[in-house]
Amino acid sequence: MFRNTREGLALALPAAIFSTLLFLVPVGILLSEAFRSGGSWSLQGYIDFFSTPLNRTVFLRTLKLGVLVAGTAAVIGYAAAFCIVNLGPKSRGKVFGMVVLPLMISPVARTYAWIVILGRTGIVNEAITGLGLSDTPLRLLFTETAVFLGLLQLFLPLMIISLVSAMENIPRDVIPAARVLGASWIAVFFKVILPLTKEGLVIGGTLVFTGALTAYITPAILGGSKVLMLETLLYQRVNVSNDFVSASVIAMILIVMSFSANLLLKRIATARS
Amino acid sequence: MRHLATWSILGLTLTFLIGPFLIIILAGASATDYLAFPPEGLTLKWYLKVFTVESFRASFALSMALAIFGTFMALLLGVPAAYALNRYDLPGAETLRTIVAAPIIVPGIIVGLALLRYMVVPTGVTVTLALFMAHTALVLPYAVRVVSSSMTNLRADMEEAAVLLGCSRLQAFTKVVLPNIRGGVLAAFILGFVTSFNQVPVSLFLSGPGVRTLPIDMLAYMEITFDPSVAALSALLAFMSLAIVFTAERLLGFSRYV
Repeated sequence: MFRNTREGLALALPAAIFSTLLFLVPVGILLSEAFRSGGSWSLQGYIDFFSTPLNRTVFLRTLKLGVLVAGTAAVIGYAAAFCIVNLGPKSRGKVFGMVVLPLMISPVARTYAWIVILGRTGIVNEAITGLGLSDTPLRLLFTETAVFLGLLQLFLPLMIISLVSAMENIPRDVIPAARVLGASWIAVFFKVILPLTKEGLVIGGTLVFTGALTAYITPAILGGSKVLMLETLLYQRVNVSNDFVSASVIAMILIVMSFSANLLLKRIATARS
Repeated sequence: MRHLATWSILGLTLTFLIGPFLIIILAGASATDYLAFPPEGLTLKWYLKVFTVESFRASFALSMALAIFGTFMALLLGVPAAYALNRYDLPGAETLRTIVAAPIIVPGIIVGLALLRYMVVPTGVTVTLALFMAHTALVLPYAVRVVSSSMTNLRADMEEAAVLLGCSRLQAFTKVVLPNIRGGVLAAFILGFVTSFNQVPVSLFLSGPGVRTLPIDMLAYMEITFDPSVAALSALLAFMSLAIVFTAERLLGFSRYV
């Protein structure tokens, strides 16, 4: 540690000032916009927003899909992470690499694949009409299921990574010990694995939930205007109707939702112990 | 038995995560004028067409420039900040950390909209400059985090020794600190580059006539055209990312830093 505070500040401040001017200030002004409707401070923007049925539907759908994606990712994530941690060192690195890889690839490319799979002439529909299950192709795109699958594929790696690094820290002999003492696998999961990996679950859960809330491309491509989520609604409000008050309200909702998810998960994690 | 269970779980998970790319590679090679899978006839014409679409070329160049210069700028700001936060006992260090990390917490679409409304519109700076600033701000948290983590392993007494032996503080930094965190800085650059290049929400509102990042351009293209060229382009971009990550992994064990 160096004592020369002035020198340290001179090194750290440019980044902080840049971030403040280009980021905190503009975002702060944007967030305050909804409270200033009609020149005075009020909550009218929020009341108007939530009194529109479409907006409520979109809000609830975003919340629902976020929870579903995070929950499913946790279930698959635990199974996959448990398998990965128990692999031999060689295949472990390879499998882990394959889990991380998709994160480096453009979300546009990752989402576009689902059009190929779920589109009118995609694999699923070819199979369905080919097997004679239906005469006409089904509408699989622009449904909540399509958005759910797209989001899950996009963010599952984040959950697996968080859980793998949490599970690596479980002492080696704890699980065999619990088994020897007669615990069933279910008991082992709830009494040993879950308590010891809850920090990973909190991190992974927050990342996946926040990611699902704030993804734009997936709901835009796979949901379109039929399955709006908060992000796509925000874009529409600004681009179609120049409605900046709604945009500001949605922005605040997204930020509050991400923060509360993190706090809630942390609370649950500490309550257990 | 246990082996079987392990590999079927992993097999299914990896199919779900990686399978779509194999599909996209093949779909981009379909001889049809529309998206089809399984492909009907194989052709490379869509892969070649991608390179002749004028708007793709322009937006690819813009995305490249943003990713390279934005990340470079973020490192220019982020490396000294990470250094200071690790080596100095700063008043309000926690606050500084939070401010620098803030762009990661707020949804990108909001950042883009805020910059458009309160920077581009009132001050008249160009959209390109705003994009550059936005991408720098976006990469900054990654730069600080990755460089910080590679710096925590570096003992401060090495630098003190260098100073005692007659180096100036700057020399101690360039001769002792920098060579030791080189891997971390490179990793931060690659992570920043990929993040910036693939970024959509921030750039959504920050586009104008002739100024569009590649992902935004692809979104616009697929709204009007249904031929397999977007699949081909997606596959090419996936290959590009893979090549970058593989090279990085080989050269410096990139995954340690992510």
